[in-house]
Amino acid sequence: MILRPVYAVIEREVLKLFRQRSRLLAAMVRPMIWLLVIGAGFDAMLGRSGNLSYQYFLVPGVLGMSMLFGAMLAALSTVYDKESGVMRMLVIAPFEHYWIVIAKTLSAALAAAIQALLVLALLFLLGYLNNGVVLPLLVAGIVSTSLVCASLGMLIAAWTRTLDNFAVMMNLVIFPVFFLSGSLYPVQHLPSVLRFVATINPYTYGVDLLKHAVLGMQQSQFHPDFGVPLDLAVLFVFVLLATVIACMRFSRDTAYEPLIHILARKRED
Amino acid sequence: MRRDVVDASLAIQAEGLTKRYGSALAVDGLNLEIPAGQFFGLLGPNGSGKTSTIHMLSTLIRPSHGTARVAGHDVNRASLQVRAGIGVVFQESALDRTLSVAENLRFAGLLHSLSVAQIKERSSELLDLFGLGEKRNRPVAALSGGQRRALDIARGVIHRPQILFLDEPTIGLDVPNRRNIWRFIERLRAEFNVTVFLTTHYLEEAADCDKVAFIKQGRVVKIGPPHDLIDGLGAYIIEIESENQEELVRNLTPRLGPGFLDGDKACFRFASKDIASLVTLQAELADKVISMRWRRPNLNDVFLWVNETELWQAKKTRRIP
Repeated sequence: MILRPVYAVIEREVLKLFRQRSRLLAAMVRPMIWLLVIGAGFDAMLGRSGNLSYQYFLVPGVLGMSMLFGAMLAALSTVYDKESGVMRMLVIAPFEHYWIVIAKTLSAALAAAIQALLVLALLFLLGYLNNGVVLPLLVAGIVSTSLVCASLGMLIAAWTRTLDNFAVMMNLVIFPVFFLSGSLYPVQHLPSVLRFVATINPYTYGVDLLKHAVLGMQQSQFHPDFGVPLDLAVLFVFVLLATVIACMRFSRDTAYEPLIHILARKRED
Repeated sequence: MRRDVVDASLAIQAEGLTKRYGSALAVDGLNLEIPAGQFFGLLGPNGSGKTSTIHMLSTLIRPSHGTARVAGHDVNRASLQVRAGIGVVFQESALDRTLSVAENLRFAGLLHSLSVAQIKERSSELLDLFGLGEKRNRPVAALSGGQRRALDIARGVIHRPQILFLDEPTIGLDVPNRRNIWRFIERLRAEFNVTVFLTTHYLEEAADCDKVAFIKQGRVVKIGPPHDLIDGLGAYIIEIESENQEELVRNLTPRLGPGFLDGDKACFRFASKDIASLVTLQAELADKVISMRWRRPNLNDVFLWVNETELWQAKKTRRIP
């Protein structure tokens, strides 16, 4: 019975999310700063384009952002767990170790989805969602984007032995993934190199799906870049591949034994 | 004759268990047979292979050679079944400091697929047993070092394992807390008849074990019940200080057997329980030594005799050909 252990990991993540008020607050404030400050700034510079302002165009991007940061921070906390006690409890429990990766991915995705729902509520209250929302696509967008961000985070966590500096991860992974995703500008209008990077960035397709959900196919230069089926296919394949690779990595002795040594290291007397 | 027969009354059975890291041998062909319910101590200095042994027996690392059956299953072939039957308390805490006492036990219980009702029942039972009943809703960060270690042990046995591995359970604790931890382990043994596999380098703490094994560079150098090992050493240990230690050792070795120098003291075993012969020796040495002391041997001496006499013999043969 693997359900209870997976539930245990998820329960812990959610408990911690609601206990760390500052993390939750940051998750709400960060997207709002982009939307209200950067969005308003660009709007003033660009003027309205068609019937959609740049601020509205940013809505799916900042919604995705809440999931990107939420899931990555939760997934990368696995690296902290490696050095702290909890990983000891996990490795000694009677299930295959790849379940740790699966449970952590699910819990990071759930933490991200919760944060996205909170941001969604804020967006609704501020009136950014009244262009017509396609609910099934929104649900699909939140679920798949959370999972993509969580599995990307776990992929990195599986290769990272120590996380001395969170800022390094932020600058090297989270920001590039965010900037090169079509969150801030339509992918089609990017220069070819950047367009190529955005096209191979799986997160781009999550944001694109969210664009379908909240922007619709409105006549404007700010329309989604890809079709819904392509978005869903790319997201599904990436989550599957990333999770399988992270599971394999975590189950291999060569990666695993150094972890056991970290966990067993002698106390500094 | 190889014993391929599985003995069901054995909690742990290791044959030729070996762990090699590159060219270094951490554990070198360990054979162990530990009956169910036994309190077993694996003793030795830091770096002698104790932790590697626990990790192999608890399936966390794979043996380079050899095999072991733990809780009725092979560590190489059925690691999940082994892990279901054992509890492990690591040297370092396995607790989540941000969660409360009860939440940590809940997390550990769920990882072992216990139901919420089982977790509740066993948590209160264990917390009462370990004197933590009042602390159940406190965060772990607010507990003292001793309380945290007690909770870590409760965490390790919430699923009622047949075997409990304790890797240096009292390291870093002060004396009153160490005594408490031993009392808890005693209660656990009395209550649940759990087999306890202990490693420690505080030898005096292992005196209550049913059986101890001394390991050195990954090999068992001495094994047996503590009292047998101590009695086997002799009736008394004599510590002598003199101006010419070399000469003293040369003179007394033929009579008392091999001794060794421990700082400025020469240590010898005295086999006979006869106090009169001790007094005779005292009278004989009265003019030649600065001080002479006799005392009952303990487990430390067993370990020192295994180690130091070897070293002393080696030195002596080098110095006096």
